[in-house]
Order: sequence, then C-alpha cells, then structure tokens
Amino acid sequence: MVLRIYDWLDRRFDLRPAMEKILIHPVPSWVNWLYCFGGITFFLFVLQVITGIFLMLYYVPSPDHAYASVSFISHDIQFGYLVRGMHHWTASLIVVMVVVHMLRVFWHGAYKNPRELNWVAGVFLFLLMMGFGFTGYLLPWDQKAYWATSVGTNIAGSAPIIGSFILKVIRGGTDLGAVTLVRFFTIHVMVLPAITVVFLVAHFLMIRRQGISRPF
Amino acid sequence: METKLPKGRETSQDHNGAGVSTEKLSRRKFLSYGIGGIATAIFAALAYPLAGYAVSPALRKQEEHWIAIGSIKDFKPGNPKKVDFSFRKHDGWTLVNQKSNVWVVAKGEGEFNIFSPKCTHLGCAYHWDDNQKKFMCPCHGGVFDITGKVLAGPPPRPLEKVSYRVQDGKLTVKGV
Repeated sequence: MVLRIYDWLDRRFDLRPAMEKILIHPVPSWVNWLYCFGGITFFLFVLQVITGIFLMLYYVPSPDHAYASVSFISHDIQFGYLVRGMHHWTASLIVVMVVVHMLRVFWHGAYKNPRELNWVAGVFLFLLMMGFGFTGYLLPWDQKAYWATSVGTNIAGSAPIIGSFILKVIRGGTDLGAVTLVRFFTIHVMVLPAITVVFLVAHFLMIRRQGISRPF
Repeated sequence: METKLPKGRETSQDHNGAGVSTEKLSRRKFLSYGIGGIATAIFAALAYPLAGYAVSPALRKQEEHWIAIGSIKDFKPGNPKKVDFSFRKHDGWTLVNQKSNVWVVAKGEGEFNIFSPKCTHLGCAYHWDDNQKKFMCPCHGGVFDITGKVLAGPPPRPLEKVSYRVQDGKLTVKGV
C-alpha cells in the first residue's frame, strides 16, 4: 500500500534519486553504539515537541489557571498523567543524553578541525536545551516552580551594573508574576523551538557534509 | 521503501545460502523490517494514549443538576412562564456560575411541559407571544405552539423537553 502510493508519487515527481541520495547513506564500519547519543537526543526532542503540543490543549499560562489546569491534566484527563510524565522525564533525559553525546564527541576529539563549527552549533543546542528546562520549570506554577525561578532570575540579577535591569527584563518587571509566567511560556513554546530547529538543521547538514570523524 | 544497493554489497547470500534457497531474507531486508516494526510499535504506543488524551473531555459524563424553581401553584395552564435560575457547574478545571432558564407550561393536575430555552433550529432564544399564543423565534422565524410543535419556519424538531420532578408541591428541573 505504502509502496504503491510511493510509486504513484515517484512517477510524477521522480522522487527516487533524491530519496536515495538522502536515505542510502554509507556509514563507516568502525561506527558503533557510542555514536547513537545524538540521535537519541533528537528522538527525545521530537517526543518533547509532540507531548508539548498535547499539553497545550489544556494548559493555561496565567497565575489564576496554570496550577489548576496542570492538576486537571494530571488528574482529570485520560492519560494526562502519562503525557505530562513523559514531558517531565524526557526533559531530564535530554539533558543527560546531550551531556553523554558531548562527552563522546570530546573524548574522540571529533570537535577538531574541520568540525569546529559543528561543535559550536552543538554548544548552542546545549544552551537552548537548558533554556527549555529553565522556562518549562516555571509553568506548573507550584511552590517549587515559583521559588526555583525566583532563585534563577536572582542569579541573573546578581550580574554587576546591568544585573537589576536584566532581572527586570527576564521577569517583565520587578516581581515574579503573571507577566513572568506568560513570557516564560512564550519563550518555551515558540521562541526556543524556532531557534532550536535552525540549529538542528545546521548541525545535521554539517555532519552529513563532513561525515563522521574517525576517533582520535 | 524500496532501496537500491551499490553493486557488491548484497549480503549473506554468498556465504552460506548459495544454491539452497533463491528467496533468502537479506541482512538489509531483515534490518529494515526490524526497524519498521519497532517504529510502528513506538508510533502505536504513542498514538493510543495521545488520542485518548485529546478526546477524553468528549467522553466525560455530563454532570446532573436539579434546580428547584418554585411551587407548582405558581404556574397556570395556558400561560407559559419563563423561569431564570443559576447553578454551579464545572467548566474544565474551574467552577462557574451557569445562568440558564426554562419555559414552564402547566398542563394541570401536576403535569408540565418544561421546554429548553433554545430554538431547535440553531439555538436562539425564543419568546412567548401572548397575543398569538405562540412561541416565536426572532432569528429565522421559527414558530411553535404551546405543546412545542413546529408551526412554521425552519426548526426541524419540536421544542426540546427538560426532565422535571414534582415533590411536595415543589417543581424541580434538570439544569442544562
């Protein structure tokens, strides 16, 4: 069935050469399981996008509704605990997998010339993942969320000279409140995903172009 | 998807399968079936709970509310009366004050026709015209008689009846 649909499209658009170029991709014979952590991270990121979209079906980023809507997802919606649980645990797992991926690349010296830029793109992706973690942590609007964000933004505020201004920009005012919650939400679901996609595409194009580096 | 291999990389056949069977599962085929199977399993394991999660509110049982709207002596036959009331109900994760009303038509001897306030055409609010003795809907000209039967206009069904109870001379209706 799928093959017949593919054939039908292929007769019209001549997809085969392009698909073969993309999918038939010889990999060096010395590549082993240590090379799968980047792929796992990407898989987990896709999972976050899917579960995140589903969480948005019920979540409301307002101090009046955030906690109640999250609790509604967990307790009243079928499989809500599962979808929220996947988003929660996958978030931690991504950070673990990013670090393992980075360690492998570092250990094998894969960041060296000519792949410096791909390492840089990877570091940006790491920072973006931390951004997802920091902004997503506030969204349940419980005590842990509130005080963790209070501490986190105060750290940013401790920078010399411009610290207090940065603090106000991040919080959207002096206090941590409704404005903070909406901007963290917007950054979490719109801004960071858009930037991440750009860096992911760059990361993948570069590895495809340069090939997997030989260890050491 | 069908894939084409560069010449010389076709696998295993040369080692032990030669001459025994012409239809041997190549290593590549085996792996692509394996990957396809695992991908399908992951997709199914995700799709089932996600679908349940998305449609879950539609499968909920509607809450029942019974509202006392007065004594049966308040209503006289041939004289439909609109009764406004409000009740607390759940709206998602919030508790809201739902305002609503019903049209009460006494039939005598403790029997009633209680009509939902929405026209059966597209849900507009209708009113009782005391001169013509008819229920009139202003939106698209739906007209109903005192028993809720359609007399004119586009409504496809008679007025919808609301469940009620009479206890100790008090009238209670099901809130919607």
